[in-house]
Amino acid sequence: MQSESARMSSAAEARFRVQAPNSTPRAITVIALDAAAEIAVRRLADVGWRHATFFTAKSPDDALSDLGGGHCGVEEEIDRTDLVVLIAGPGGHAHAAPIIGAACNGRRVMTTGFVVSAASASDRDLSKTLAQLRPWSLMVVIAGSDEYLDDMMTALRA
Amino acid sequence: MLRKEQNDLLTDTGPGTPMGRMFRAYWIPALLADELPDNDCPPVRVKLMSERLVAFRDTQGRYGLVDEFCAHRGVSLWFARNEECGLRCSYHGWKYDVTGQCIDVPSEPAESGFSKKIKLRSYPLVERGGVLWTYMGAADAQPPLPEWEFITVPRRQTFTSKRFQESNWLQAMEGGIDSSHVSWLHRGDLNSDPLFKGAKGNQYNLNDARPVFEVVESPGGLYIGARRNAEDGKYYWRITQWVMPSFTMIAPRGSHSVHGHFWIPIDDENCWAWSFDYHPTRDLTEAEIAAMRDGKGIHVRYVPGTFRPLANKDNDYLIDRAAQKAGRTFSGVEGIAMQDASLQESMGPIVDRTKENLVSTDNGIIMARHRLLRAVKAFVDKGVVPPGVDPVHQKVRSAAIVLPPDVPFTEGASEALIARPAVAPASV
Repeated sequence: MQSESARMSSAAEARFRVQAPNSTPRAITVIALDAAAEIAVRRLADVGWRHATFFTAKSPDDALSDLGGGHCGVEEEIDRTDLVVLIAGPGGHAHAAPIIGAACNGRRVMTTGFVVSAASASDRDLSKTLAQLRPWSLMVVIAGSDEYLDDMMTALRA
Repeated sequence: MLRKEQNDLLTDTGPGTPMGRMFRAYWIPALLADELPDNDCPPVRVKLMSERLVAFRDTQGRYGLVDEFCAHRGVSLWFARNEECGLRCSYHGWKYDVTGQCIDVPSEPAESGFSKKIKLRSYPLVERGGVLWTYMGAADAQPPLPEWEFITVPRRQTFTSKRFQESNWLQAMEGGIDSSHVSWLHRGDLNSDPLFKGAKGNQYNLNDARPVFEVVESPGGLYIGARRNAEDGKYYWRITQWVMPSFTMIAPRGSHSVHGHFWIPIDDENCWAWSFDYHPTRDLTEAEIAAMRDGKGIHVRYVPGTFRPLANKDNDYLIDRAAQKAGRTFSGVEGIAMQDASLQESMGPIVDRTKENLVSTDNGIIMARHRLLRAVKAFVDKGVVPPGVDPVHQKVRSAAIVLPPDVPFTEGASEALIARPAVAPASV
């Protein structure tokens, strides 16, 4: 007789797996921290996502701007999200990163830092951006193409 | 999460499938050289990417990898006689050389030339570093021979094993780049396994169970950096290499050997987990090799006479709930390799990725899939040679290194991530 592990890991047993949904949607907040990032975020937002909201935060004040020009407070947005994706360009000034990062840290909200246009960036510019993102990002992504953002958002069920 | 059609695309590697076609652009490990130890030794069945083959070593020491079945009546050539530079089918005596060319059909007059019209599909089989490598793609696109460092160092410096894993290749490979599971599943092994213990880096691991990850595209695949706090505000980095499609290399520990894996499809529901250990600048010690043969580190003990792990699904992986409860192992399964394999096999032969819920720390896995999908499309649509085929992409190393906080690890460890002859690995 087969062991339980052998029987239960067979292809035949796979059809008895519970088909009910095993998660509820997560809210993802994507924030562009500089002008280069804003271009990538606007393109990404145009793809159309069910569970993601998009902002810019290019100054160190306590406000996020949505892509339509509206505003909301950092803490207000962080209170209703599950994941914050901070996006910055190489060599830019991610002035708002500390405010957003501290708000996420205080609320135990996961943060991911993403460097756009990294493939063509100099080491110096990349260092500058990483120095601003690293203290506030629990995951940092440096992709060869900004289109990776689309796949990442899809994989995270945005 | 992947859509079903994406999951099917990445997991199906049979002949003619997109992923199967791309996998066939690479030299892949087929057998250990020890499996064909002598000229005219018994042939060995080989199944790769859903193709049944037989490997043999002829009278002159040439290796052959050919269709397993005789062209006459479909008999398995595993039963053949390996003699006088060819495999002779035991049924009616048809004989094949290492290229699969039929060279004798005893029932037909030799002058008829009939045998010249019979040829089995065959693939090149080449020994490099104690491993027999094959290339199963188009003959006119055959790349240069593989240049992985573990097969180019002297044989005294390297040890390779393989084990049968009962799951699709992709879920096995994804385990190799899933750095965040190490602090959980393998936490009991860092200070006890003879191939890991004693390294200073282990303390960084154990003192900081919540590493921060950075994923960076490399020319051949990905660098996956796990960052932990070190002294004086510096960071301790463990950098894993993934080279497409299925090579992974784990960051070393102290003066121990460097190790990693290949994950090679047998068919869509089984794969070979190849495991190598080597040191770029010194011989492996007898104690190290004995430990590897005894299933320590990333290796396993076997069911005698097979490459099936001794702990396997038929004996519930010898799970020890008392050891689990006492904290000696986190999952109750002993040994790093079987801790991974037991969980990956539990997912089923091909995991349904439409139901998974990935999180931010899974970006290594997400980006690997992203790169594979892009490369498959470029290869199938435009014939673009995929990353990892070029031997330059194969001359890589993993690294463990302490760096200042504002330095990208790709810059601070740039030399450490390249294989350089007679240069010691970057390790802590």
